[in-house]
Amino acid sequence: MNLFRSEEHIECWLAGREPGRTLPVAKLRELAQAWWSDRLDPAWRPHSREQNQKILERLGLTGEFWRLP
Amino acid sequence: MTDLELRHRTYALFVQLGRAPLPEELGARDEVLAGWSRLHDAHALVLWPSREEIRMLNPFSAVPTAHRVRAGGRWWYGNCAWDAFGICAALGAEGRIESSCPDCGEALAFQSDRPGELLFHCLVPAARWWSDIGFT
Repeated sequence: MNLFRSEEHIECWLAGREPGRTLPVAKLRELAQAWWSDRLDPAWRPHSREQNQKILERLGLTGEFWRLP
Repeated sequence: MTDLELRHRTYALFVQLGRAPLPEELGARDEVLAGWSRLHDAHALVLWPSREEIRMLNPFSAVPTAHRVRAGGRWWYGNCAWDAFGICAALGAEGRIESSCPDCGEALAFQSDRPGELLFHCLVPAARWWSDIGFT
């Protein structure tokens, strides 16, 4: 899970491997906020799989690639 | 101490110290190690193979990585780019993120609230993230 300068750099780095999914960094920031912002809250409880899947779906991260186990 | 309490206390001490706590800093060593081991199996933290030290307390990394974050008055390491932003989110503070492009090695440094036009690539499908969390 890395940051890249451009699509061209991702393609070079993959070197023929099957690509995963690429997001704009602004979307990653939104995802991190939704996923981690409550982690240090003393009232924190573990997220259920369904809660985490909803976070992904709210951000448009749907389909088989983003399906949690 | 329940496993959830142990988890809360481990996170709180990590943030207070700026490093992974030792088991004896949290309670009776054997009890803490047994609790950490259960939390590891539940994917609530990641221990080294010896199961005696913390490797990841997501989004924090206990060891230096390529994803460094300055937030809340201290430097931290994230396990990946997602976690670098996650550290800022968890601390409730914007910060400076320093990473590098894995293709060309060029340094990437920016404020978390002004990340620019960079791209994030997630190689591993969500269903396999925990199959090898170090690689993910």
